[in-house]
Amino acid sequence: MEDANESIARAPLPTEKTLRQRKNLLTQAMRFAAINLKMIKMIRKGHHPMERKVK
Amino acid sequence: MARVVILGAGVAGHTAALHARRILGKSNEIIVISPNSRYIWIPSNIWVGVGKMSAEQVTFPLAPVYKKQGIAFHQALAKEIHPEGDSTTSSGYVTVAYTSPDRSGEIGQIEYDFLINATGPKLNFAATPGLGPDGHTVSVCTSGHAIEAAKALQEVIAVMKGGKRQAIAIGVGHGTCTCEGAAFEYTFNVEHELRSAGVRELAEITYITNEYELGDFGVGGLVFSQSGFQTTSKLWTESLFRERGIKAILGAHVEKIEPGQVHYEQVDGTKGVLRFDFAMLLPPFKGVDLKAFDKEGNEISEKLFAPSGFMKVDADYSGKGYEEWLAADWPKTYRNPLYPNIFAVGIAFAPPHQISKPRKSPNGTLIAPSPPRTGMPSGIMGKLAVLSINELIKGGPSAQVGTASMADMGAACVASAGSGLRVGSAASMTMYPVVPDFVAYPNTGRSIDDTFGEIGLAGHWIKLALHYMFIYKAKARFGWFLIPE
Repeated sequence: MEDANESIARAPLPTEKTLRQRKNLLTQAMRFAAINLKMIKMIRKGHHPMERKVK
Repeated sequence: MARVVILGAGVAGHTAALHARRILGKSNEIIVISPNSRYIWIPSNIWVGVGKMSAEQVTFPLAPVYKKQGIAFHQALAKEIHPEGDSTTSSGYVTVAYTSPDRSGEIGQIEYDFLINATGPKLNFAATPGLGPDGHTVSVCTSGHAIEAAKALQEVIAVMKGGKRQAIAIGVGHGTCTCEGAAFEYTFNVEHELRSAGVRELAEITYITNEYELGDFGVGGLVFSQSGFQTTSKLWTESLFRERGIKAILGAHVEKIEPGQVHYEQVDGTKGVLRFDFAMLLPPFKGVDLKAFDKEGNEISEKLFAPSGFMKVDADYSGKGYEEWLAADWPKTYRNPLYPNIFAVGIAFAPPHQISKPRKSPNGTLIAPSPPRTGMPSGIMGKLAVLSINELIKGGPSAQVGTASMADMGAACVASAGSGLRVGSAASMTMYPVVPDFVAYPNTGRSIDDTFGEIGLAGHWIKLALHYMFIYKAKARFGWFLIPE
C-alpha cells in the first residue's frame, strides 16, 4: 500500500490567502450562513420518513 | 392503551422517548430503561477530552426531563428480552438489573407492547490487549474517559514545557473500529491545544487508523465539488495533515498495547511498533450483553442478533460479497423480522455490510472500518420508530409504517479541528446519502450537490451552535421538536 506520509507530503498546502480567509470574521460569517443553508437543504431532503410507507 | 419501552437514552433512544410522548399522546405509556442517569451529547465530548469543556457542560440528568414529560424512567441495565413472554404471561417483556443507588442489584421485569432497542454499543476494549483506561491508553467515549484523557494530556504538556519531546498517538485501537471521525477530531484538537500551550514543536503526533486512505471516515470517503473541480476527502484530509504536521499510519489493525508501545499490523502485512507517551485510541464496538429467550425459556439470541451482537432488522443479511451489495440491502423500517413489534435503531441495529471496503492482510487479519450510524441518522431512526408505532397503534399490526434508509438519508458532520471563538476551526461535511447508492448516483454513489466539505472558523461556530441547540432539544425545552434530528 501507498506510504501515507509520502502521500501527505505531496498534498496541496493552502495558500496564505486561504488560511487568512479561514479565520477572517466577515468571510466566515458568510460561510456560516452558506454552510447552514447547505445543511438545511440536505436535512430536508432526507427527513420524510412517512412519505414512503411499507407494510 | 399501548406501552412503549425504549432501551437506551442516547441520541436514538432519547429522541424516540421525547417524540413518543409528543406523538403518541397521554393515553399510551412510555418507559425508558437506561443504565446511565445522565444524558450525554457525545459530539462535544471531544472538547472535554482536551479540557475545553467540563463533563457538566455535555451531560445533564435524565430523570427531571422524563418526569416533566410524563415518561417513566428506570435506571437499569436491560439483560434479557422475552418477546413471546413466558408460561405466566403472553406479553413480551424485558428483564432488567437496576443500577440506580437506591435499587442497585434489584432485578425487574417490564412488559411491553412495542420495544425500541436503542442501547448503543458495548465499548469492546477487551478486543485488543492493553487497550483502554484499564490498560495503557485513554479514550473519549464517555465523559469520565474524556476527563481522564484531558488530565493525561495536561501531564504530557507539562513534560514538554520542561523541554522534553513527547510522542502522541491518536486513532482507533482495532481493525474493525468505527467513529474514525471522532479520532480525527481529537487529533486536531490535541494539535491545536499543543500550539496554544506553545509546545507544538516538541510533539510528534501520529494518527493511526484502520482506514485504507485518509478521509475515508468509515463511509468509503467522499467526492465533492470545489472551485469547479471534483475533489476527494482523501486529498482534502491529507492537505490538513500536511498543514498541521501530523503523520499517519493507515490500514492498521492494533494487535496489542504495551506501556508506551502500540503494536500494529497493516493491510500489506507490515508489522510495526508506534512508541507513545500519550495515546488516545478508540475501542471497537459490539452489541451490548443482551440475550433473548422464547416462551419456553430457550435462548434465541442467535435469531434476534447478528454475530456482532447488534440486532437484526429488515436488512439483507445474506452475506453477499462487498462488490455485490446494493443500497437497497440497508434497512428501511428497523423492525425485527421475527418480532415486528421490536425496533432497533442507532448503533443497536446490525448493518448488513461495511461501507468502506473491507480488507484482509496476508496474515488473514480483517481490517475493515465499520459503518458509522450515530448522530443525525440515529435521531431520524428513533423518530421513525415512534411514527411507525403510532401507525401500528392506530391501524393494527397490518398498518403501513414509515421508512428511513441510510441509503436515502443524508448526514452532516462537523469535525472540530480546534476550539476558540476567534481561533477555532472545524471541517464541515455533509453527505447524501450516507450509504452510497451507485444505482441512483452511478459515478460517486452520492449526490455531488449535497456532498461537500469545507474547513474554517465557521465550522467551529456551527459545531458550537449545534452543541447548545441539541442540548436544548434534549432537555425538551420550549419548541424542542422544531429542531430537526
